[in-house]
Amino acid sequence: MNALQTKYAKEVKAILAKYPDDQKRSAVMPLLYVAQREAGYVSRQHLADIAEIIEVTPTEVASIVGFYTLYHDQPEGKYRIQVCNDLPCAMRGADAFLQGVCENLGIEVGGTTDDGLVTVEAVMCLAACDKAPMFQVQDYENITYYEEQTVDSTLKLVDKWRKAGAKKK
Amino acid sequence: MTDAVKPNVETTLVNLTIDNVPVSVPKGTLVVDAAKRIGIDIPVFCYHPKLEPVGMCRMCLVDIGLPAVNRETGKVETDKQGRPVINFGRALQTGCTVEVAEGMVVVGYTEKVQKARQDVLEFLLTSHPLDCPICDKGGECPLQNLTMAHGRSDSRFIFDEKIKLAKHVPLGEMIFLDRERCIQCARCTRFQDEIADDPVIGFEARGRSLQIVTYSEPGFDSIWSGNTTDICPVGALTTTDFRFGARPWELQASASLCTHCPVGCNTTLNTRREAKAGGEMVVKRVMPRQNEEVNEIWLCDKGRFAHHYAAKDDGRLTGPLVRRDGKLVAATWEKALALVAEKFEGAGKGLVTLAGGKLTNEDLYNLAGLAKARGGKALLDSRMAGGDLTAQVGLSTGSNLADLGKGDAALVVACDLEEEAPLWWLRVKQAAERGATVIVANPRRTKLERHAAFTLRYEYGHEAALVTALVGSFSPKRADLPAAVQALIRDKDVKDAGQAIAGAKDLIVFYGSEGTGLAESAALARACANLLIGTGHIGRPNNGLVAVWDKANAQGGWDMGLRPSADLAADLGAAKAAYIVAADPAGDSPALAEAVKAAGFVVVQDIRLSATAELADVVLPAAAFTERDGTFTSGERRVQRLHPAVPAYAGLRGDFAVTAQIAARLGVAQEKRLATGVFNQIAASVPAYAGLTSAALSEVREQWPVIGRGDVYYGGTTYDNKQGLGVQLPVSGDSPALTFEQPAEPAKFKGLKAVPVTRLYDRGTTVTPSAVLHPRLPGAFIALSVEDADKMKIEPGQKVQATLNGVTVEVEAHIDNSLAQGVVLAPRSFGLAIEGPCEITVKK
Ligand code: SF4
Ligand code: SF4
Ligand code: FES
Ligand code: FES
Repeated sequence: MNALQTKYAKEVKAILAKYPDDQKRSAVMPLLYVAQREAGYVSRQHLADIAEIIEVTPTEVASIVGFYTLYHDQPEGKYRIQVCNDLPCAMRGADAFLQGVCENLGIEVGGTTDDGLVTVEAVMCLAACDKAPMFQVQDYENITYYEEQTVDSTLKLVDKWRKAGAKKK
Repeated sequence: MTDAVKPNVETTLVNLTIDNVPVSVPKGTLVVDAAKRIGIDIPVFCYHPKLEPVGMCRMCLVDIGLPAVNRETGKVETDKQGRPVINFGRALQTGCTVEVAEGMVVVGYTEKVQKARQDVLEFLLTSHPLDCPICDKGGECPLQNLTMAHGRSDSRFIFDEKIKLAKHVPLGEMIFLDRERCIQCARCTRFQDEIADDPVIGFEARGRSLQIVTYSEPGFDSIWSGNTTDICPVGALTTTDFRFGARPWELQASASLCTHCPVGCNTTLNTRREAKAGGEMVVKRVMPRQNEEVNEIWLCDKGRFAHHYAAKDDGRLTGPLVRRDGKLVAATWEKALALVAEKFEGAGKGLVTLAGGKLTNEDLYNLAGLAKARGGKALLDSRMAGGDLTAQVGLSTGSNLADLGKGDAALVVACDLEEEAPLWWLRVKQAAERGATVIVANPRRTKLERHAAFTLRYEYGHEAALVTALVGSFSPKRADLPAAVQALIRDKDVKDAGQAIAGAKDLIVFYGSEGTGLAESAALARACANLLIGTGHIGRPNNGLVAVWDKANAQGGWDMGLRPSADLAADLGAAKAAYIVAADPAGDSPALAEAVKAAGFVVVQDIRLSATAELADVVLPAAAFTERDGTFTSGERRVQRLHPAVPAYAGLRGDFAVTAQIAARLGVAQEKRLATGVFNQIAASVPAYAGLTSAALSEVREQWPVIGRGDVYYGGTTYDNKQGLGVQLPVSGDSPALTFEQPAEPAKFKGLKAVPVTRLYDRGTTVTPSAVLHPRLPGAFIALSVEDADKMKIEPGQKVQATLNGVTVEVEAHIDNSLAQGVVLAPRSFGLAIEGPCEITVKK
């Protein structure tokens, strides 16, 4: 039993139970959720652990992580603001919006704030083209849509997170 | 799927025309392959005839039409002239994914197709670095060739927008990735997955960011990695061994053989005259040479990279040495040979010759001849027995592992096949994929088990008992069988495996040397022969016994009349004169070093100064395998020939010639000029080799897939075989009687029992001179069971003191969770004194 398996014994067991024994590898997606939930990314160790559980090579697990844009192999901000700047959104001002958010947070597109709270990324169409500027927020567990946004509304949202974080401490 | 992988493809023929040429091919054939068979090149990048088609690159687009069928009558519609009406689809189709169909019309010369090819190439080149002048692939590059043939002469994309990516990404220590050059065809990843079953490289990310990554420890952890550089259609993957070493067009090609294991892979040695080497010819790389009955188009990394021991470096012997005042000093051939002859004369019947198993048949023949003429002993440096049995019930003429399929069976016993004979592992795995029943019997887990229908475990020492139990599972009960056999017969898996073996159409039994010494090997070989005889699987193609020899030409050694010694230390120690050729007993074991010291007069003949040579009275140098002519007999009993690729040092000859010169001084006439001369004598006097000629060895037949310089875009840079596919020997025909020997009970020890195992990458004299392999060579180690490690509180990786046969060595402790308690694995050729099962003490 490796670390991941020990820590989430019940959950891992429940996931594996859904797949026939000779098709364990199909469990890779749900196991990656479990791993990513911990710190918002899948660590090298998690890769190896998942590979061991489903009896494939770590490289094969890494290929899956690499293929899907919502799995991450590097730690970034706790909240990933994923702004669509595909053509339709760009026509509704997404580029300027994206720049504005980044400037105010003092980061580049793709960068993370110093406190490690927020990462801003540019992504492809999220199927909300008519509500641009828009973005989705991916935290460790969930994805939430925010539509018809302004730089101000976005900064308020970030402030809310900051305060919530400070309170917890 | 190609028919090389699946020879039992349907034989129903389908008629079609490709570029107006009518052709009939088996049903299921892909359009690109059908075209290739009649010499029409449909360009491909991602398609490879040994891999499943994926249709990823779109380079193979062609216009494909099918006869129009009248829906009501179900008949093919015809025009006024009575010719079938052909409906072409609106879009072009990928010839690599479409199977042929009756009446199909394939067209590749239309403007539409030409334009499509041009477009695909233009897209591929939008961000290709085009650094051909410094690219190792330049000169044998499919992208270069296909661009010349089908591409535009300019690009409409903006040069400054080319993406710059990392150009020297090590995927492990042996293979480098140039990210800019990769065209994302996935040939490499599919090879590792489908063929090597080591999916340790993969794609990460998507689109332009897609790249090859490896997450294994160490990186690209596969003994098959070099093959990806042959099939990569660009210079994205290169080997550490060859990169920036030479331009392909400067290289000469010479046919050779791999001398590392009994498979006998066909190779091409690429050589070049080099200023760095003082204007001498040097071997720049080892490439596979196609032989679909042996290695197909592949090589393992040992065969590809461990060639440097034959290089002309400071470690090579260039002239005879004679011991004077306790020191080895240079001497003339005349003086050295005269001294050797004088001492051999004096030794009389006390002459012991010990021959290495990587000598050619010609060397072995002359050596055995000399020993016999003098009444001395002719010993083979091997710890395996059964060469007499393989000559009787081995594979016979016309056998090809590619023919094993549904209804056939292969038993692999006491063997870690991928480590002991990599290409056979690959071929047996493919047999399993074609439906053959593969049975793996080994005391611990091995990679082949992933493809086994039956996995049988037994206790080390019970290998012969296991095979006897397989016989027992389908023959009348015998009360006199030892308890161990009786117990195994009751095992359900053994019973089922036994039934599968008895009912198999064709059966090949491979026995290796996992855990065995000479005595155990003899019992095992006998038991395997019994199984084959008892089930009638002898005397026809694709049936019989294959020894997974510990030395490449051990079969040739047996055939030339040499035998392993039951007690080598005693034989050497008692020798009045010892003539040790291409063997290093002193390096293998301290006990043998003592024996060499005890021998009267010691002559060592080799290419480098081995530990044994350091103890010798006379050292005679010989030419390396890259510098000479000769033949080898593979474990499948295929006689194959190697040719000189580079000249030897002045005055140096093949071993047979040195032996012949000694023999001449003792009044024994031997052929000393030409290896082919000795070969003719072998053909005249060794029954199994009767009638063989050099011409027969050089015969070639058409092979599929088509491989070669003009076809690099298709099968890769493997060389085609113009120099001979070799000849498989017939079996002697006299079916040996079913002599039954009670399998002996394995020796019991008070403490832990060490058993010898073979690792592909060992620390032997033919491996260590190749620096490229060093990062992959483990240090001396032993493997313990989980229970024993726990009991002694030993952690994996911890250094421990292991004492075997009175010799203590510091080794790293590994833990193998498939090992039984009380057993310790001791690898051969790592400086541990192990020849067969023995007692071991392990101290922290
Ligand atoms: S490295 Fe070579 S073989 Fe592998 S995907 Fe890239 S171009 Fe194809
Ligand atoms: S499989 Fe054996 S013969 Fe073939 S390349 Fe490897 S070591 Fe050499
Ligand atoms: S283009 Fe932005 S959501 Fe569709
Ligand atoms: S799509 Fe046919 S060769 Fe790549």
